[in-house]
Amino acid sequence: MEIGKEVDMDVMKDAQIGIIETETTMPVENDDLPIEQGEIIIEEITRNHKLLHRHRLNQNNITIGRNYQNDIILTDPHICPQHLSLSYSQDDWRINDNNSVNGTSLENSECKKQDAHQQVLNDGDVIVLGKSQLRILFKNHRVADTIAFSPFESLIDLIRHPVAVFTSIALFILIAANIAYLNQPTETNISQLFVSAFSMSLLFAVWPAGVALVSHLTKHDPRILAQLGISFTFFILMWLSDLLEEIIAFNSASNSVLGLIIALVPIGLAFCLFWLNSYIGFHVSAKRRIVVALSITTLLFGGSYLLQYSKKPEFNPHPQYNATIMAPSYLIAPSNSVDSFIEQSNALFEQANKAAQQD
Amino acid sequence: MKAFFTLVFILLSHTTFASEQAEEIFAQLTPSLYQIKLIDKASGEKSSIGSGFQISKDGIIATNYHVISSYARHPEKYRIEYLDHQGNTAEMDLVSVDVINDLALVKRQVDGDMPYFRLSDTKPIKGEKLFALGNPHDLGMIVVPGTYNGLKKESFNERIHFTGSINSGMSGGPVVNKSEQVVGINVATSGNQIGFLVPHEKLVKLFHDYNKEAPEDIKQQMAAQLFSNQNKLMKALLNNTWQSKELAGKAMFPVIEVPFIRCWGDSNADKKDALILAAIANCSLDENTYISSHFFTGSVEIEFRYMQAKNLSDNKFYHLYQKQIARAGSGNRASKNDVSEYQCNNDLITPSSTANTSKSITNKSVFCTRAYKDFPGLFDVLYLGASVDKNQQALVSHFTLAGVSQENAMEFTGKFMEAVSWK
Repeated sequence: MEIGKEVDMDVMKDAQIGIIETETTMPVENDDLPIEQGEIIIEEITRNHKLLHRHRLNQNNITIGRNYQNDIILTDPHICPQHLSLSYSQDDWRINDNNSVNGTSLENSECKKQDAHQQVLNDGDVIVLGKSQLRILFKNHRVADTIAFSPFESLIDLIRHPVAVFTSIALFILIAANIAYLNQPTETNISQLFVSAFSMSLLFAVWPAGVALVSHLTKHDPRILAQLGISFTFFILMWLSDLLEEIIAFNSASNSVLGLIIALVPIGLAFCLFWLNSYIGFHVSAKRRIVVALSITTLLFGGSYLLQYSKKPEFNPHPQYNATIMAPSYLIAPSNSVDSFIEQSNALFEQANKAAQQD
Repeated sequence: MKAFFTLVFILLSHTTFASEQAEEIFAQLTPSLYQIKLIDKASGEKSSIGSGFQISKDGIIATNYHVISSYARHPEKYRIEYLDHQGNTAEMDLVSVDVINDLALVKRQVDGDMPYFRLSDTKPIKGEKLFALGNPHDLGMIVVPGTYNGLKKESFNERIHFTGSINSGMSGGPVVNKSEQVVGINVATSGNQIGFLVPHEKLVKLFHDYNKEAPEDIKQQMAAQLFSNQNKLMKALLNNTWQSKELAGKAMFPVIEVPFIRCWGDSNADKKDALILAAIANCSLDENTYISSHFFTGSVEIEFRYMQAKNLSDNKFYHLYQKQIARAGSGNRASKNDVSEYQCNNDLITPSSTANTSKSITNKSVFCTRAYKDFPGLFDVLYLGASVDKNQQALVSHFTLAGVSQENAMEFTGKFMEAVSWK
């Protein structure tokens, strides 16, 4: 009979939490009996089904409890010293609860919970004992298909290169300084502009740093450079879309369709940014990633819309018009005649009459 | 010394004479003078006060429209009461208004024929002594001697310039000449002995029209008056010469040659550190029509602003320029109950009158309008044109019109847009 050997595949450094390398010296008996060897994989998981430790055991009897004689030693204080044992016979694993104080229950894949004593274990079942959970897997457990590298990988590799990250942050600072310069109504001081632009870039770095921190805390690879690179690239893209929006607003008349379409671009960009943040930082399913990115985007844009809406006065005595003007070099659209403008404006009177009758 | 005494004597006798005359006038006319009170029905307290005077034996009392404007706008909320010289109070009816000249006729119940003020047949002459009567700040009826100084210069709707103290509460009180005939009605003051009166002819006409046919509905009467007044004003603006003038030697703008539109100018040429040189020409109608305390109409504002960059990049110049034109507002006060919100559109426009010449100007033009709720067919409009065809120069042309018809507004807008160009 072979000695069960525990294999901790995932989190090697966390061995101190409750695992002892079980080089248990079991008494060797009945050497010549026909070998009917049970093989089982037991995963310690959190309540959110996150993996803590994985044990692979090749023995017919496995004891689990708080006592140091057990094959799997758990530190949960709600577990008895000799809480339960698993035994293998006739191709089945059976649970045996040793009259534990808090009992043992079994959850199968359909999430049905039942008392575990003397139950036969199936692949994927979860044993709940005390406040801990153990997932049982057999060696023929089906694993998910391999995920191929997405085309984003190469893009992310490019963006997270230190030179690329540096360039994107530098470009961001330049743009921020330029915007501050354009808005300054008085004479400007270059160093002052750059100090404010630099502090702005620090402020904007909070987002990728925060995402990296969260992915580190959730036991993922932080990949801070990739997060920084991708976030600043998108901040720059958003500024470009603002510029594009301004050019279109300048060149088009009111209520143009193009203006409405371009207003959606920042929303799309924000969604892409959040999606990529989550792609870099967390291993979650594609569906979940889309849901998360969508909800952050909705929260951001919906929230700011609600904020604007709540601040809107009941009656605005001032006209709301779009008077975007830019230097003549941005002027690409042909201009119209006074007559066509008068004709357009005539339609406003009807609108105003309707608005006056409404309330 | 003797001369001094004589002088003092003359002065004294003169003032004594004037005050005696005032006393006499006051004593004779006081039974026909009233304090007009607007009582808020819900609270039972007065919400505004003014003066009034009887102009017929059957109880027609003249006052200012603005004294009873709250009632004219919301008859369900208020009632009009008078207080006569003996302290009697009773309710009155509003029978007719002239919103343009700020006059109203109210009617009290009478038991028999009553004394009343005669309206003068002639205009006073400049320098003539007049007596204004009224109840300032609810202090009691008083008489104020003053001088007729002709009609207010450059006014569209005529007002008498009266040198004498007119205070609030005296609004609606009569101004009489030495022969106790009404020549004007107290209406406004601009402080320091400068008072304004409505000429008595306006009251004569209103009273005459009322006697011929009393208006059925006050709101309709007001709407018709506002409509015809804006027609008169806009015709005057559109049919007079539009003189083309230079602004800072670079741009051409129109000045409408009518006396009641007055222009002012300003520039920041003295400010050495300004990034943009700006020169502003500003023309406006100096009067407006009171409809209620939160609602004025009839105003006209025209503004031209020339700007030139000083050592600025084109982008920065346009950025600062955009901030200058981002907040154009209406020229008149109006609230939610009076008007709709503004509806706006904008486009790039090159007027055809200047196309294909070196004067050609391309504007980002914005037009906004809002409709009056109680006076259908009347609108406030706002136009803003911002030139976008010169790298380092800009010309903003802007006007607001209050209480005009669509037809007049659009005719004015078209003419205005064609009249602005580069030099």
